[in-house]
Amino acid sequence: MAEHTIRSRQRTFGRYSVLLFGAVVMIGPFIWMVVASLKTDTDIQRIPPGLLPNPVTGANYTRVVDTFPFWRFMANSIGVSLASTLLQLILATTAAYCFARIEFRGRNGLFGLYLATMMIPQQVVIVPLFIEMRNLHLINTYAGLLLPTIVSSFGTFLMRQAFLALPKELDEAAFVDGAGHLRVFFRILLPLTGPALATFAVFAFMASWNAFLWPLVITSGSQSHMTLPVGLAQLQGRFSTNWNVVMAGSVMSIAPIVAFYAFTQRWVIRSVAFTGTKG
Amino acid sequence: MTKTKNLRTRRSLVGLAAAAALLLGACGSDDKTDTANSGSPDTTASSGEDAAGGDKVTLTYFTFSAAPDHLADLDTIITAFESENPSIHIEVQTAAYADYFTSLQTQVAGDAAPDTFELNYENFVTYARGGALLDLSPYVTDGSIDPARYFPLALDGFTESGTQYGLPATFSDVVLIYNKTLFDAAGLDYPTADWTWADEQAAADALTDPAAGVFGNYQPVSFHEFYKALAQTGGSFFGPDGKASFNDAKGVEAATWLTHKPGTTMPTLADIGGTPDYDTALFKSGKLAMWHNGIWQFTGLNETGIDYDIVVDPGNTTKASAVFMNAAVASKGTSHPVEAAKWIAFLTGSPTTVETRLASSWELPAVNDEAAFATYLTSGAPANRQAVFDSLDNVALPPVLERQQEMQDIVANALESVLTGGVDVQTALDNAAAEVNALLD
Repeated sequence: MAEHTIRSRQRTFGRYSVLLFGAVVMIGPFIWMVVASLKTDTDIQRIPPGLLPNPVTGANYTRVVDTFPFWRFMANSIGVSLASTLLQLILATTAAYCFARIEFRGRNGLFGLYLATMMIPQQVVIVPLFIEMRNLHLINTYAGLLLPTIVSSFGTFLMRQAFLALPKELDEAAFVDGAGHLRVFFRILLPLTGPALATFAVFAFMASWNAFLWPLVITSGSQSHMTLPVGLAQLQGRFSTNWNVVMAGSVMSIAPIVAFYAFTQRWVIRSVAFTGTKG
Repeated sequence: MTKTKNLRTRRSLVGLAAAAALLLGACGSDDKTDTANSGSPDTTASSGEDAAGGDKVTLTYFTFSAAPDHLADLDTIITAFESENPSIHIEVQTAAYADYFTSLQTQVAGDAAPDTFELNYENFVTYARGGALLDLSPYVTDGSIDPARYFPLALDGFTESGTQYGLPATFSDVVLIYNKTLFDAAGLDYPTADWTWADEQAAADALTDPAAGVFGNYQPVSFHEFYKALAQTGGSFFGPDGKASFNDAKGVEAATWLTHKPGTTMPTLADIGGTPDYDTALFKSGKLAMWHNGIWQFTGLNETGIDYDIVVDPGNTTKASAVFMNAAVASKGTSHPVEAAKWIAFLTGSPTTVETRLASSWELPAVNDEAAFATYLTSGAPANRQAVFDSLDNVALPPVLERQQEMQDIVANALESVLTGGVDVQTALDNAAAEVNALLD
């Protein structure tokens, strides 16, 4: 009996050590980022680097805000990310419903084509896309920032899987009762895919928030429509960079994502936990 | 029956909507009046475009050197310009240097280039030969631009096939920065302007103390240092036939000079680990005795209180210093060439610009005016600021090709293969020369 307890205690100890190690590895960089943002210019360049800031200074945060229209960048990023996420949700779920539930000729081929577009790297399309935006007079506009991002093949694929997992009997019962496709979609299927929707929303938001290449190109250096990643990149000078200021900017820029994730956390975890089981 | 009728109505509605969308799309794209303004990108600025008759003209100026530290200084220059030219408004666009050319190339390729922008010497050739730049000769003739205002070397640097395409805005050079405290502690004499590689090597060996983590000298193993070292030993990157000639004996000597340092008098590549500004941090921590770096470091070094001075970069058989130059250029497709020429002439040569740049240590204006630099020479550490100008007596300009970035990558990879791959120097240079020659076609 005692041996059994010792071994189970060892197992628990082992498990917790591994988890603790994993936690340190995951959170370590973020803690380092916050610590670095509190260091002075001289302190950040010390070799070997110190673990704690000495002296502690909050001046870097003001420096970031003073150098650029930081709140404008933040507002642009939040606005564009939210709009992009919302539009992606709408377009991807409706497309996924069609691919999952409506029979039409060439459906599988079309879906395959959809997926194939995921393999095209962004760098390949960026110049033609820019020319197209210029022809549409959408350079340095919010529409230009948003439009290429709202169609998400990955999202369509994700939501299609979620819909396929739901039994067809639900639809059929609704059709028998006189419901059309729209009602089946909105009232019956969509509410059942809550966790998948939340996961997709988080991915879409993060991708939009961190997007760099397209916002860099479409804003053409103009600060009015710049988003945070592009704006903060300018904190890096040509010959040298004040990393403490860059870290302060980064801390401020991840705050909204952390908040967004905290809000949707419950559904994401539930979605991951229920992977492989029905409904 | 009703369901079929509804279906038919719905299908026709969808068809109508699709047709309407197509029509709207067609309306958006081809606006004849805008082909005239194809030079300037669409912005949300409300100022009107063009005019005969005193309407405000808006010029865009795209720059990589203003952000993040000198946006206010640029504003000072712009305010002065706009007060002298009330009908012209300058709109600034910024990007970090690392991302600048991505954005610029896309804009130029998309026929939406900024009216005026900044280029450095290495990338100038690509844009000049690609036909993206405005020919400035008419504006020299009509007096908007005064060529005598600029350093002749700098002005020549921005011509292509005899045509002036850019005006030199700033220059900076690479010198030898040394830590006086470490030299004193070791009882060694400070470097002088007569030093050669042998002198530097001797001092570096004496000053390197691995136990204390102190290193004797630091010279990045890079394309930029390579062509400079090549010039310092009397070699040249391209031969008289236009083919790569850096794999001769002099090239091997230069490459060996660079690659033998890591691991002896300099930290190894593994120690550096790709950390950006590793050498800056090392020098500022007082752990580096001699440092090959540029004059842009002065402001940062002065903040740390380190006792340092500078001297012209030691050569081997001859002196040669690396000089970086930036130019202000106008794009060929700009709709306001006259105003653009006025703006870049002001930006590069006006007294306001010279004062502002010197006062805020925002690189050095490339103007041919000794009196203007008098204040610079006596404005504090390092004491030997004269070395900044003495370095201009023997300049190693970067070799430039249309496919510049590829050439730089080839050389950088060759040097790295010597360090990390154990490849023999001659072999690495021979391979690199062959690859560079392939780029020439």
